[in-house]
Amino acid sequence: MWWCMRSRADRGRVALERALRAASVALLAWMLWTALRPRATVTGVDVAREATLPAALARWSTDSRVRSAHVLLDTAPGALRRDWLAALAHAGVAVGWSSSSAFPAVALEARPSGDPAGGARVLVAAPRNATIALSDNAGTLTDVHRGTTGAGVSFALPALDGPARAQFGVHGVAGAPRDSVLLRRVVVLGRAGWEAKFVVAALEERGWPVSARLSVAPTVDVAQGTIDLDTSRTAVVIALDSTAARDASRIMRFVRQGGGLILGADAARLAAFASIAPASQGARVRAATLAFASAAPRRALAFQALIPKRAGVIALETRDGRIVAAAQRAGVARVVQIGYDETWRWRMSGDESAPAAHRAWWSALAASVAYRGALPIAVRATDAAPLAHLVGALGAPVAVPIGSSPAERQGIRAWMAIGVMVMLLAEWASRRMRGQR
Amino acid sequence: MRAPNEFVFATVQYESGDWDSAPLVPANITDSIARYTSIAVQPSGAIVPLASPELLRYPLAFMTGHLPVRFSDAERASLRTYLERGGMLFCDDHNHDIDGAFHKTATEELGRVAGPLAELPNTHALYSAFFKFEDGPPATGHELNGWGDNLIHKHLLAAMRGDRIAVLFSNKDYSSEWGYHPENKRFLSVDNTRFGVNVVVYALTR
Repeated sequence: MWWCMRSRADRGRVALERALRAASVALLAWMLWTALRPRATVTGVDVAREATLPAALARWSTDSRVRSAHVLLDTAPGALRRDWLAALAHAGVAVGWSSSSAFPAVALEARPSGDPAGGARVLVAAPRNATIALSDNAGTLTDVHRGTTGAGVSFALPALDGPARAQFGVHGVAGAPRDSVLLRRVVVLGRAGWEAKFVVAALEERGWPVSARLSVAPTVDVAQGTIDLDTSRTAVVIALDSTAARDASRIMRFVRQGGGLILGADAARLAAFASIAPASQGARVRAATLAFASAAPRRALAFQALIPKRAGVIALETRDGRIVAAAQRAGVARVVQIGYDETWRWRMSGDESAPAAHRAWWSALAASVAYRGALPIAVRATDAAPLAHLVGALGAPVAVPIGSSPAERQGIRAWMAIGVMVMLLAEWASRRMRGQR
Repeated sequence: MRAPNEFVFATVQYESGDWDSAPLVPANITDSIARYTSIAVQPSGAIVPLASPELLRYPLAFMTGHLPVRFSDAERASLRTYLERGGMLFCDDHNHDIDGAFHKTATEELGRVAGPLAELPNTHALYSAFFKFEDGPPATGHELNGWGDNLIHKHLLAAMRGDRIAVLFSNKDYSSEWGYHPENKRFLSVDNTRFGVNVVVYALTR
């Protein structure tokens, strides 16, 4: 029985083949078991990716054996999922998160505009060089490239439907105004003249309630409405000229209360306002152009150049290196000083858009200093600072637990499958070389 | 050099008719403004073509005449823009005659641009803007003497923009009433230009 006679080497090879076969069967059995076992029976750290997070959240919430969970995120989760994870953490599950790349620190704040025409100002903090797409419920509002400098981007929106959303690639942020500005009165004080008349007209046409006292003669004023220099009724005082001297002490008290003040060139010269006027008067500058060009209409206006009195004065508008409008805080209030004294010429002699532009300019000036009484409004939960909220809810990101990541598990399974194939191939080759089938 | 915000009395020059029939009115009213108020004025008035963009430099403009008025298209467009932006036109019938050619044609032209002219109530703020006129527009010597249509017109006419007068139309013949040298006011027991002060103050404050 020559075929029954095995050499010592053959016996070794047979033993090896049996060992390979057994190992292959054992590995296959283990892989089958790990594939078929219920996930909820995991007692270690369970890891989920963003795509599988909804199912994982349901599982982690219903299986009391889950003690530790980890989320691999590509973007900051929405408020619902974030709050769910936070609730799990508060319920005793150790919840951690990590990301393969650093999240951008983005944030958005929406504020109601102080302008009676409505609208909102949206402030967005975004990474440098990001392209920001701003939208609301009605659609895309604007796209803007963030640039490499500055601390953020500010959008003045004439209307906002629902929350404002800013998108930078895959990262999004949303926020809605939380209060509504209570519109209070603007008081205009000045001499009877075209400037005073058209300042009042511009503000009224824009929707501001306006009271005015225009001096016609030493003992004669033309009054419109009541002159209450109190923040409970008045948001802004516009003192166009020296006739405001009569009310200087009341205006100063109004400013101390937080009321806004706009000083015309002539009014700013009053000694009573010296401590709060942002600037002193320089030389009178003639109009730079004769015509009111639509691109820069105020170049056709003469003005009194302003020289900042102290540090912290902000130049709101300049022309050819000279300051035309300046602002500074006075306690809790804001004071703006302007060098223009004939803006009515812009409204009358400008192009078709001039009356509206004149209205908008004066209204924006008033809104920028106005005392703001705020009325809270109910807003839906928004995600104004996703990364900050995530860190607040779950803490800082942590490392992925070793051996627990799905990717790692997938890699191990692949290597095990390759190992099984190699072992079976080796066993088969060994048999064939021995002449066996 | 003109100081900022000086008031300039502007007279409208239109292509038809006799726009320059009351040359002494601007100086007389300007004198009254300086006499009674603290409003800064430019002593010399201005004459401005109705069709010119220069009109927009004078938010109050005075128009008078005896003859039929027909505006050109350019004049109508210019006046329409002027009124829309807040300008005010004070038009006085130098004929003092509601059946006269000026009245008929001027009210028709102004109505085309500014909308129909209606009687202004005698309680309107115009009559208390500076001096008080309890009975509405003051009568003129021409009315009291029975010249023209032999009527004392109880109301002025106006076209409104919102609650503000855009066009003020008079058949009182203030052009004659105010057409004298300011120095001669000293001979009057009551200054008859006081209503002119009200018109200017109203325009500057409303």
